Amino acid sequence: MGAWRHFPIFMITLPLLGAVLMPFLGYLRERWVPYAALLPLAASTLLGFLLVGRIPAGDHLSYHLGGWEPPFGIEIRVDHVGLFLMLVVCAITLLALVYSRRYIEKEVSPGRRTAYYVLYLLMSGAMLGFTATGDIFNLFVFMEILALSSYALVAITGNRNAVRAAFKYVLMGAPSSIMVLLAVGFLYSVTGTLNMADLASRIAESGYTEVLVVSYILFVIGFGVKAALFPLHMWLPDAHSIAPSPISALLSGLLVEVCAFALVRITFSVFTRSATDLVGGTADAVGVAAAAAVLYGGIMAITQKDLKVMIAYSTVSHIGYIFLGITAFTAEGLTGAMYHMLDHGLAKACLFLCAGNFIYLKGYRRIEELRGAWRQMPWTCFAFALASISVIGIPPTAGFISKWYLILGNIRAGKWLYTIVLLSGSILAAVYCLRIIYYMFFQAGKEEAWEDASRDVPPGMLVPVWALSLGTLFFGVFSYLLIPSLLKASAYLL
Amino acid sequence: MRLLHNYHYAAAMALFCIGLYTVIVRRNIIKKLIGLNIMETSVFFFYISLGYLDGGVAPIHAGSADPARMVNPIPQALILTGIVVALSVTALALSMVILLYRQYGTLDVDRLMREEEPAAEGAAGEGEGGA
Repeated sequence: MGAWRHFPIFMITLPLLGAVLMPFLGYLRERWVPYAALLPLAASTLLGFLLVGRIPAGDHLSYHLGGWEPPFGIEIRVDHVGLFLMLVVCAITLLALVYSRRYIEKEVSPGRRTAYYVLYLLMSGAMLGFTATGDIFNLFVFMEILALSSYALVAITGNRNAVRAAFKYVLMGAPSSIMVLLAVGFLYSVTGTLNMADLASRIAESGYTEVLVVSYILFVIGFGVKAALFPLHMWLPDAHSIAPSPISALLSGLLVEVCAFALVRITFSVFTRSATDLVGGTADAVGVAAAAAVLYGGIMAITQKDLKVMIAYSTVSHIGYIFLGITAFTAEGLTGAMYHMLDHGLAKACLFLCAGNFIYLKGYRRIEELRGAWRQMPWTCFAFALASISVIGIPPTAGFISKWYLILGNIRAGKWLYTIVLLSGSILAAVYCLRIIYYMFFQAGKEEAWEDASRDVPPGMLVPVWALSLGTLFFGVFSYLLIPSLLKASAYLL
Repeated sequence: MRLLHNYHYAAAMALFCIGLYTVIVRRNIIKKLIGLNIMETSVFFFYISLGYLDGGVAPIHAGSADPARMVNPIPQALILTGIVVALSVTALALSMVILLYRQYGTLDVDRLMREEEPAAEGAAGEGEGGA
């Protein structure tokens, strides 16, 4: 019983504790808050990396809160896939927080900056807890912390468009949370337990198939809204484009993905293989919606004039990719979905932070205003190009690896139509990404559009952007570090 | 007969549908929030009726009460959490309504969303890139 067994709970509670303490610091020394907020997240990241390699293959780390044995107490359950996603969450939240300091000074009024960091830490802690928990009611609680802090963060600037976008998000997000709560209630009513592992063993023998199916459909709708799965995505383009850029990066790069991961947990850890026959029909419907999302998001992204809205629609498309990987029900497909969570998180966060750089320096939001941006902001533009390449899925970036496994998984499952959809999604991505690259690098902008700009943004904003874009390259070249263990972990989940 | 016996579940689901209908169909955002609260209440009612026992006693093991007649306390504990969450969501949404009303001067959701569309909602852009 080493101390490392306690690491997962500290990874979750340190950011939450930081969020509680931050208002006091903000009251005394507001200028220290951006630095102090880094501490809990850095500690979580460190603990996460110390956990790597400690969990035996094909097994999980189970932690009992307060020493109450499951199924009575709340269990924190970290397996390889969960730890992988927790590390992604830690790394990206940490980088976006480093980025936030300068950006927030410009976009958020002084009285609200402490609130920004409090909500930011709450959201990070909730995402970690959401990924790690092994109890479905606890899952609901973390989802609500996550949702409430993200509603408030979208509206943090307080201008009218931001509040409207956030309200639209609440109007869709709050009913979806209630549906998840109802689904949890249905599962509890037929099994009498809330622990995921215990549920998995009891679901098979409980006779109430209709209740189980309805419960699964409610989970799909609930998490589908939060993950912005195609017909339920309406809130996303507004909320993701109007929020401050570091928050857009977090919403687009992480929030939708942890919600998709929650559906992975529900499908594979709760309903499991034995009950897959029950939910197979729903999963097929999810597959159709995901395929529609890939195409719809891509086409909408092409038609956009605003850079951040375009990136947001690209997220709608890529959520479709993740869901197509999940609904393939093969180890390769699930590996592709998990790897896509990594590289989409890195690339999309990078794109949003780059868009933030243009807003920070010049206030430019529209795509055609970026003509000739390369000469003034070479570093930002190169990072943007690298992340775009990963979004399209060109080797040697991580986007290629994940799309490879997604397609492989769908071929294994005999879903040829989805394979074609996945490939055409890449073509659409190429159209909308290369258009921006063309504007940035190969078109002469008006001289006066850039003349007063200083040469690129301060290093505090460039370093996170470059760390993210080099991350997509690193995980593309060195994918062999992760893929074998992910394949094994996916087979364990299946 | 089973439905008649489990009428409280049917009531909870009817309430849920009324709430969902209100959230989707009503144009006034205050009414939408009321619908949201009806949905929440219906779920709370569903949970509480799960644990209810006719003529049940409080689940305190110290006395001489028969464990088989005790009310299940877990749904009640869960719903305490659920109520706190619902309260926070409602408070946040209402504060947003106040901000929206100050800035747009209307509570009608159609007018709110129509007014001054974000610049992004344009027609096909000049997508000559990609070549």
